[in-house]
Formats: sequence, C-alpha cells, structure tokens
Amino acid sequence: MTTLTLNNIEKTFGSGQNKVHALQDINFSTAAGEFNLILGPSGSGKSTLLTILGGLQTPTSGQVQINNQNIQDLSKKKRENLRLNEIGFVLQSYNLVPYLTVADQFTLVDQVKPKDNISKDDFESVIAELGIQDLMYQYPKELSGGQAQRVAIARALYANPSVLLADEPTAALDSDRVMQVGQLFQDIAKKQQRAVVTVTHDVRLKEYADHIYELVDGRITQVQ
Amino acid sequence: MFLAINEIKYDKVRYSLIIAVIGLISFLIFIISALALGLAHQNTAAIEKWHTQSALMTKDANGNMGQSLMQKSDIDKQNLTKSEALVGITPANVKADGDASRDSVQYIGLRDQDYIYQDLKLSSGHLPKNNHEVIIADTLDNFKLNDKIKIGLDDTSYKVVGITDDALYNMAPVVYGNLDNWAPIKGVTDQFKASGIISKNDTQLKAASDQLKAYNLKDYMNNLPGYQAQILTFTFMISFLILISLIVVTIFLYILTIQKLPNLAVLRAQGIPNRYLILNTFNETLLIMVISVAIGAGLTTLTAFFIPDAVPVYFDIPLMSLIAVGMLITGLLGALIPMRIISKIDPVTVIGG
Ligand SMILES: Nc1ncnc2c1ncn2[C@@H]1O[C@H](COP(=O)(O)OP(=O)(O)OP(=O)(O)O)[C@@H](O)[C@H]1O
Ligand SMILES: [Mg+2]
Repeated sequence: MTTLTLNNIEKTFGSGQNKVHALQDINFSTAAGEFNLILGPSGSGKSTLLTILGGLQTPTSGQVQINNQNIQDLSKKKRENLRLNEIGFVLQSYNLVPYLTVADQFTLVDQVKPKDNISKDDFESVIAELGIQDLMYQYPKELSGGQAQRVAIARALYANPSVLLADEPTAALDSDRVMQVGQLFQDIAKKQQRAVVTVTHDVRLKEYADHIYELVDGRITQVQ
Repeated sequence: MFLAINEIKYDKVRYSLIIAVIGLISFLIFIISALALGLAHQNTAAIEKWHTQSALMTKDANGNMGQSLMQKSDIDKQNLTKSEALVGITPANVKADGDASRDSVQYIGLRDQDYIYQDLKLSSGHLPKNNHEVIIADTLDNFKLNDKIKIGLDDTSYKVVGITDDALYNMAPVVYGNLDNWAPIKGVTDQFKASGIISKNDTQLKAASDQLKAYNLKDYMNNLPGYQAQILTFTFMISFLILISLIVVTIFLYILTIQKLPNLAVLRAQGIPNRYLILNTFNETLLIMVISVAIGAGLTTLTAFFIPDAVPVYFDIPLMSLIAVGMLITGLLGALIPMRIISKIDPVTVIGG
C-alpha cells in the first residue's frame, strides 16, 4: 500500500532581506484510500507544498518519503519515472498540450508509457463521470476553463498513478461540477485505492474529504 | 514524431511560413551552385574533354597558356609520348568573310598525330583534311558548316568542316584547327611553334629546361584568367547562404521553443522524459528541413526546365545531394540551442501562480 510522508519540511526562497519562509515545520502523512484536502489562502504555500510532495522541488530541509523511500535519495531518472508511473499531477495552469486534441492528450501518455495505464473500462467511466466524452476531438483552446480542468483530471488519472496531486482543480467549476469532482476524488481514493491530495481555497470540497488541513503562512494544522 | 506531426498540423500557417523561407533559401543555394558549376564548366569544358592531368608552358606565361610562346628548341627537349599533345592556344576574333560582326573565340591549334585531335568527337561534319579547314564549337551559333571565316590576325580564309560539343575554354567557344596556323592567327613570328603541352598521363609533365614550367590540373585551371576569382565569389556566396539558413533555422526554433516552454515544463512535471521531448525537437527539425529542401529541389528542377539556354547552369546531382545533406545538418545544428533549453527546463517554474 502506498504511503506518502513529509517530515519536518521547511522551504525558504531567497536570502537576507528578501528571504521568504514559504513552508515551515510541515509534518504530513497519507496513504492509499484517503482524500486529503489542504485549504489555504493565496500565497500560503499550497503550490510549493504540492510540488515538494510530488518530488518536483526539493525542500530546504526535511524529508519526503514515498513508500518509506526518501525521494531526495533517488536519481533524477528514477524521480522522473516515479512521476510518470506513480504520481498524477493536476496543475493550476497549462495542464494540456495546446496542439493536441483531448484524445491525443491521452495518446501522448501511451507514447511514453505504453503499459500499465488505466484499463479501457476505467477510462470510459472516468470520462463519463467527468462529462468529457463528447470533447474528445476538440483542442484545449476550444474548451471552457472548467472543461479543460476536467480533462486535466482525466489526463492525470490516465497513467494509473497511486498518488493524485491536484492544485486548485475546481477553481473554474460551478457548484454542480464541484460536487461531481469531489465525489470523483472520493471514489478515486476509496474505490481505486489511491492517495489523493488536493490543495485549494475552495471550501466546497470539504464534505468529500477524509482529512482536512489548513495552511496559513506556510504552517499546517489538521482541522479534521 | 507524434508530438512533432501534431504540432505542425495544428499550426499549419506558422510552419508553412518557416518551411517556405527555408525552402526558398535552399532553392537559392541550389541555383547559385548550378550557376557556379555552369560558369566553371564554360572555363574548363575543353580541358576536361581532353582528360587533362597536367600542362606545360613557358615560365614567362605565368600559367596562362594564351600567353605562352614555345620555340622549336623547347619542344625538341620534351620527348612527347602518345598521351601528350602539343597545342597552340590563343584568344582570337572570328568573322564570316565579308561580314563585319565578330565573335570572340579561343583558337586551339592541334597536330593530327596527337591524341586530342584523334579523340575529337564531331556532332556533324568531318575532321579537317588540310590546314585551311577548322572545326568549331556548337555554341558558336552564328556560324555553320561550310562557312568561310577569318580568324584573328590571319588573312587566310578558313572553311568550317565540323561541329563539336563541350568545346569551351576560358569562357569562350573553341575553334580547332591546325597548329601551323596558330602563329599567324596570334600574330607572332614563326620561330614560335606552340603555346604548350597538354598531358592526360597520371604522372605530371616535367619541364626539360628552366624556361618551361609544368602545372598540375588544379593549378592550370586556377591560372585561367578570372577563373579563381569566380570560384571564390561563388564559394563565398554559398557559404554565406548556408550560414544565413543556419541563423534563420536557429531563430525560428528558438522562438518556437520559448513560446511553448510552459507546456514543455508541465510535460516534464508529468514525468514525460527529457529524452522524448528532445528527440521530438530533433524530429520536428528534421521534418521541416526535409520538406524545405525537397521544395527547394523541386523549384530547382522546375527552373532547370525553363531557364534560357544563354544562362550557364550545370546541375551536378552528387554535388546537389551533398548540398541537400549539408542543409539538413545545418538545420539540426540550429536545433541544438532549443534542445539545450529543453534539457534545462525546470518544471517548477510554471506551477506557482
Ligand atoms: N520560486 C520562488 N521564488 C521566490 N519565492 C517564491 C517562489 N515560489 C513561491 N514563492 C513564494 O512562496 C510563497 C508561497 O507560494 P505558493 O505559490 O506556494 O502559494 P500558493 O498558496 O500556491 O498561492 P496561490 O493560491 O496564489 O496559488 C509566496 O509568498 C511566494 O511568493
Ligand atoms: Mg498556487
């Protein structure tokens, strides 16, 4: 079973007068089957936390462990493989390749990772749940912000990751869609046994999460 | 290839413009090299026809056969073999009897026992039977068989009895005749018997006296008046065009890469390997260059059909292929900077916000 742990993470940017403590004293742990929601206002360190969780950024101090293995100890190549195979990212922006149709966004994953992607049946149900089955031959610029975000979620799930990390996945969605995405994330965690971590300032997702944290000025506290 | 093809399909206008620009540059390179070869050919067609390997003339002539004057004593010291020929070469004017207009030619006097004379191939007529008969280059189209002509400073009337092709020497059409007429046509006294010796032997001619000097083929051609300057000019133009295309390709690819940097960064964040993205840029560049060079080659072929006869072009397929390969390599060199940028992308840069 997949576990993801942050131990005493600290992240600072710049130095001297301009030094910014983006994250301080972060301890966090999750496992497959859990939907975690980290709430925080703009500039509180949400994106920084998420990229450290996904091994994109190294913390100034502290350890990131996936399945009890220190991410910092892995080679660049191994970390890349980890991202491709184990971690699905839904980022705040630019998620989709502008010159590929929605269908081809998935084909691209097949190109670099031909095996172990989600089954055809799972894929069908994911795109049905996200309501994007009719958008397959459109280019990203022909999608609304919410549609693009839903495609990005499907794209992140396509590689069958054991961890799904999402940065503001509901920013452009109306309340109905937020409920659907909340339900979907819950299913992804519970039924598909993945660890889901979502950072957001969207409190509408609260009711679907197993654990809720608050991030304020780079410090995290668990509220549920 | 998957990303590259989709990208080109998606952004047709932009890629068409890039391909058009590079295609036109390669067209220009093809045409200029054909022109360079064509002009070089006008200088050396006769020399190549003789299978020349080396040449010998007087030292004073400075490598220019047209100024060389050999005396009988010089010639006697050189024991000529079957693959060496005595020639008398001089620039001259020709005009038809009774006609005032003149054409510039190179008169080349030969002996009938030498290989150049014996190897002459005619497209019509026959070889000269006596020393008042000449054969002329097919490019000398103001004259035809059986015309009576006057050559150079000689008052004798010569009869055209044959036409031959590939007879160009130092940008002028050739009139072949008897060596004995060379001195009167050139207007020198008959103590001078020839301008020099041409050899098709692999071993270079050796000067038998210190009044004479032997040249290998390359030096002989480089000493043709104006030849070297022409070759240098064209080499310079072609190198410059290749340099320009390198810069254009680099700039295009650089701009394209910079514009899609955020998307590439996200792909890196999602674990798409560096290698895949770099290979994709490589493939994309190769595709652009192959299409561009093919368009350039197509335009060149089309031009070759319609270009007026008067324009000296010469299409050498091996050389053109070499240029095409050179263009492809140039394009891939242009991709180096973008590939380096991609390899250095930091995925985190796009994630904040
Ligand atoms: N590369 C960086 N260099 C310097 N400072 C940075 C960098 N990345 C983030 N920061 C700073 O760290 C803090 C946290 O940034 P972060 O992007 O994590 O916030 P966020 O919670 O995601 O905000 P938002 O909701 O607006 O996306 C901010 O003060 C930001 O200015
Ligand atoms: Mg953010």
